[in-house]
Amino acid sequence: MAQDVLNALTLGSLYLLFALGMSLAWGTIGILNFAHGSIFMFAAFSAHLIVRDVALPIVAVIAFGVLVGAALSVLLQVLAFEPIQRRAEDHRKAELQILVGGIGIAIIPLAIAQHLTRSVPFGYSAGTFSVTTWDLGFVRLSNIQLITLVTAFGLAGLIGWWLRAARPGLALRAIGVDSEVATMMGVDRRRLALLTMAVAGGLAGLAGVLLTYYLGSIAPETGDAFLLKAFAAIILGGVGSIAGVVVGALVLAGIETFVLVTTNGSWTPAIAFGLIFFMLLVRPNGLFGRQEVRRT
Amino acid sequence: MSTWYLSHQILIQSTFISLLLALSIQVPLRAGVFSFAGIGSYAIGAYTAAILTIRFQVPGIVAIGAGVLFAAVVGYLLALLVARLSGLYLGMATISFALFLAVVATNGGDLTGGATGLYGAISTVTTEHVLAVTAIVVLLLAANERGAFGRRVDAVREDPQLAVSLGIDVIRLRRTVFVISGALGACAGGMNSLLRTTVSPETIGFHLVVTALTMIIVGGALSWAGAAIGAVIFTWLPTVLQFVGEWQLLVYGFLVAIAAVYFPTGLLGLLQSGWRWFRARGRRIPAEGAGALEPDAAEEPERVLSALSSAEARQ
Repeated sequence: MAQDVLNALTLGSLYLLFALGMSLAWGTIGILNFAHGSIFMFAAFSAHLIVRDVALPIVAVIAFGVLVGAALSVLLQVLAFEPIQRRAEDHRKAELQILVGGIGIAIIPLAIAQHLTRSVPFGYSAGTFSVTTWDLGFVRLSNIQLITLVTAFGLAGLIGWWLRAARPGLALRAIGVDSEVATMMGVDRRRLALLTMAVAGGLAGLAGVLLTYYLGSIAPETGDAFLLKAFAAIILGGVGSIAGVVVGALVLAGIETFVLVTTNGSWTPAIAFGLIFFMLLVRPNGLFGRQEVRRT
Repeated sequence: MSTWYLSHQILIQSTFISLLLALSIQVPLRAGVFSFAGIGSYAIGAYTAAILTIRFQVPGIVAIGAGVLFAAVVGYLLALLVARLSGLYLGMATISFALFLAVVATNGGDLTGGATGLYGAISTVTTEHVLAVTAIVVLLLAANERGAFGRRVDAVREDPQLAVSLGIDVIRLRRTVFVISGALGACAGGMNSLLRTTVSPETIGFHLVVTALTMIIVGGALSWAGAAIGAVIFTWLPTVLQFVGEWQLLVYGFLVAIAAVYFPTGLLGLLQSGWRWFRARGRRIPAEGAGALEPDAAEEPERVLSALSSAEARQ
């Protein structure tokens, strides 16, 4: 029982790291990045390519994954999302184009990784890090679980504090409320958008590397599954709310682990979809979301 | 001609089936409804047709028709459920609806054949039937894109608030669109499972969303013709570009990304604006001398306005 709770918490932290950046970008600069899953996977994959040749310690692998994720995300913002937002006639059309463009771009890293790995799962077995497990009596905790838990909750707390208290964080939230007025108040929208995308990509890369260490190996297609689960977590908690993502990720992971333990697990993939649909019907703003007025 | 037709029958069939599937997303999109429910309807149609054919040996047309009716009803109910949602939220709700159905199909036990799916749905459906159905659908859609109804749909897409104030029943139009989308998706699904005699949960998934979107976005989302261009391109590209081979997915990704970022109106939009430019140029060249000033002067305010609005959009 305690072991299941710990596993659910670890899974929840991985969902949290992944969904945090997505929720941040969606809630503030209005970018729902469908390529987030691909960035996550490709960062982990690039780290795999490096580790295969050079036996690196875990810190270096994580740093590399974070850098690749951030670089890809910024590149995506500059090459695709910025031109779309500049050219689109209105907000609604820009949203749609960003979503479709993200879906298209997401195919590219996936195709490269599938081609190079022949769709065989990849891992970091050549690295210097090895998983050790401590038996605490009532539960077995591995070092990678500990790292995941600490970084996920630490970073969620840090970002939550930054959005609430730091001046750039306030400016970013102001963009989320009204981007035009924020610009008039002297907020540099472009710079903050790039920063947000870099943070989101870095978090995705971090989640990718940690997941690969945790599971031993991941397949290139893992990104798509994570993307839809992150949606469920974000919708459950409310778009743009950090506390919401934390709760959403943990609840999703909790339900999934519960179903996996008590049944044969064939319904597990449906939980995320069911949650998205149910939440959108009953409370589209999520548990912690802002109320939004829409007239038509 | 006929040998070519026979040897490419599978490709011809899948061109028209993909066209119907793409239309099930394009029709809502044209009315400004961002719904992927057509993918879910594809699953409903595919399974209904296969189950009816295997269990009750009903004729193909009845099996597909039952699927279409069922999916249209589900589409209506779904429209009632998601009436409050719009934009991305609606898109996400309908994607999860479609993917949820795929999991249901995996867990359906004997009825849906579980993860392996259903085999042996043999019927008399032929390529000619697919052609005829697609032709009727396209004719009906093309007729609806013109005239008063077409303009009403345009108004709802461009500005729902304005449409309401003009007396257009936006809610009813949105429901209609869901029903049409459901029927089209189910038609595509039903015909596909009867032509291939098999259906499995793997054929319904996120990749189907990507395929349909790819066709519409590259072809052009605002007309059935765009969906047709997309369906032709993405069904025949792999056979034409054989050297692309294993990098096919990569090419698709680039095409969609470029179309979404730089040509949001798709190939159809490009063709249309190219045609307009060509005609406008043709008209101005012969009118040299005194006559040339008049059309120029008439266009002046328009040009000033468009320059103004593009300057505004850039800010």
